[in-house]
Amino acid sequence: MPKCTINGKEVEVKDGTTIIEAMYGKDGEWPEGKVAHYCWHPGLSVAGVCRLCMVEIEGNPRLQIACNTMVTEGMKINNTSEKVKDAAKWGLDFHLINHPLDCPICDQAGECGLQDQYMEFGKYNPEMAEKKVKKHKVVDLGPTVVLDTERCILCSRCVRFTDEVSKTNELGIFNRGDRSEIGTFDGVPLDNKYSLNTVDICPVGALTSKDFRFRQRVWYLKDAETVCNGCSTGCNVKVYFNREGFFRVKPAYNPDVNGYWMCDEGRDLYKFVNRENRWLKAKKRTYNGIEEMMPGAAAKDASFAVKSLGDSVALVLTGQYSVEEYESIVSTFANDLKSKRIYHWISNPEKANDFDGLLLRGDKNPNTKGLQQVLQKHGVNTNWADLLSAISSGAIQTVVVAGPENQAVYADMKDKIRDLSKAKNLIWLQTGRNHDLEALTGNVWLIPMKSYVEKDGTFVNHAGLAQKFKKTTTVVSEALTLTEASDLLAGKQLVIKPETNVFVESEKPADRVTVEHRKKNEFVFRRGTL
Amino acid sequence: MSVVQKNTSEASKWYLPGIMTGMGITFRHLVSNLVDNLTGKKKMITLNYPEEKHEYSPRFKGNHVLTVKKDGSLRCTACMLCATNCPAECITIVASEHEDPTVEKYPVKYEIDILRCVFCGFCEEACPVDAVRMGPEWQTPGLNGANFNYGIEHLAYRPQLKGGIATHVDDEERHKAGI
Repeated sequence: MPKCTINGKEVEVKDGTTIIEAMYGKDGEWPEGKVAHYCWHPGLSVAGVCRLCMVEIEGNPRLQIACNTMVTEGMKINNTSEKVKDAAKWGLDFHLINHPLDCPICDQAGECGLQDQYMEFGKYNPEMAEKKVKKHKVVDLGPTVVLDTERCILCSRCVRFTDEVSKTNELGIFNRGDRSEIGTFDGVPLDNKYSLNTVDICPVGALTSKDFRFRQRVWYLKDAETVCNGCSTGCNVKVYFNREGFFRVKPAYNPDVNGYWMCDEGRDLYKFVNRENRWLKAKKRTYNGIEEMMPGAAAKDASFAVKSLGDSVALVLTGQYSVEEYESIVSTFANDLKSKRIYHWISNPEKANDFDGLLLRGDKNPNTKGLQQVLQKHGVNTNWADLLSAISSGAIQTVVVAGPENQAVYADMKDKIRDLSKAKNLIWLQTGRNHDLEALTGNVWLIPMKSYVEKDGTFVNHAGLAQKFKKTTTVVSEALTLTEASDLLAGKQLVIKPETNVFVESEKPADRVTVEHRKKNEFVFRRGTL
Repeated sequence: MSVVQKNTSEASKWYLPGIMTGMGITFRHLVSNLVDNLTGKKKMITLNYPEEKHEYSPRFKGNHVLTVKKDGSLRCTACMLCATNCPAECITIVASEHEDPTVEKYPVKYEIDILRCVFCGFCEEACPVDAVRMGPEWQTPGLNGANFNYGIEHLAYRPQLKGGIATHVDDEERHKAGI
């Protein structure tokens, strides 16, 4: 455990720690002051090509790069001296020699490493009189990524990513000198399940995502952290949104779950959250035809088909809701409605344990474990075949279904809708639109639900790790959570339940003024009668 | 508060002399203006408004114009700096990928809600490529139901512009100069 001094402060680090790692802090908070860098990334190997992370080490006549110098006992490191600042400044000038200043049409503008570091370390007047080297622009690298080689500063982060993390080795640096370019071999597209991580780690706008390209400027977007609901890994993600909807998803660092990365599939999951793919009004279908109403009113309206029917009401749950919601609806069914017919809809049981070795899992539900735990807690042990036979025998009259948010991964959606619609009354709670459901005949209530970014909750991932997430924004304000729907279906009024908010601890002191006490205080008591 | 006593004297009831004095001034100006105009001594100050219009200087910040390139296509690169800078939030831009890789990004929709616009000229100032300017045109009345959401067709190619206003910025030249 060598001890070193960084900017006059003594720090003890592990053996084999580089200077930049010692200065990076736990999660990039740079407690000892920021070090300019492009090529170094905490999740990748050291390349040492950008030459920007220069620090001064006492006793060493020249500046050293922080990313490839190990901390040794008694090392005295300084990165605040004029010499260091000068090195970063003119290092940046060399990076920008051939950079095209595309900022107005560059998607990275606003979150660009070059812009940020120019404002922090640069602020020089460029002294290059030479013409810029022209390279390839708008290179189609594959189905997800577009490359602009002029903007590239050859930090090689993306090359190292395909080499070390995705292990697909598509990218490389071609040519020499100032004609060097990132590229792929002819006919080999950048096409792997993690390709969009290269866009995230690109410090400039050289790699841009086809999906996000030109859709928004980043300064119009807000971000919020949540948990991905794409599969049972439960990656920590940042969603980017504004009042027009959600636009992209990026990974958030969590060493216990996903590290710095996420898969490309998860990045598409903002789409079903957006308004155009959502049910906005509830639909009630009876023999009179379709009636549109507000979701809460529809849930109240449907409650007559649920209340006081006892065991002839069945509940079907998918693994895409939070633990708190399961707890609420299962206890409502088990305790208030006295129905033990609660079923778990498993979409692809044969693939449930698939794993690709990095992040992607076959179980496409974020909270299968959580649902199982809740069902186990309430002693529910049922199987799907019972449900089907009970529906066909007429023992079940009403089926309440908490449908999936991400319908794309539910390949059996059509079959299940057909099976379940044989019941007399079908109450389907779901976020997204579905044409098969809208085409159903018979007594059907289609009630819009809130999606995973619109509510607080907990997901339990494949390893049993419970991750809490907070509401990010509201897309469909009228939609219900499963908790609200269960209350309304059971005929109860909606109330704010402070104990269900697991994130805000109740710090309210008890009211010390009792009613008797108030009565003695004439002024307080009489004030109410004025 | 100042309290002014109403003049209730007998003399004040005779209003005709006052009116005559006023009319006299009017007639004096009418005659002198007519004489001046006919003899060419001085130009008439007033305009016959709907037929004659006052021309503002070219620097006047009136209705917006989107400039065009030499080939007539839009100069705008849809960088959205004007929309970002706009204090009235009256500019709506939807960007898209151009089939020509040298253009790369262009606006498929560029709308200015002229009724929200405060004519501050910040859009013009923010534009890095001289794509949006404010012209001398300022009288744009409309009947009921007229469209005041000006789109690309109006902003760049309205008949008054006679095929569009070209900018002095030329992409080809910039590219050759290594910018």
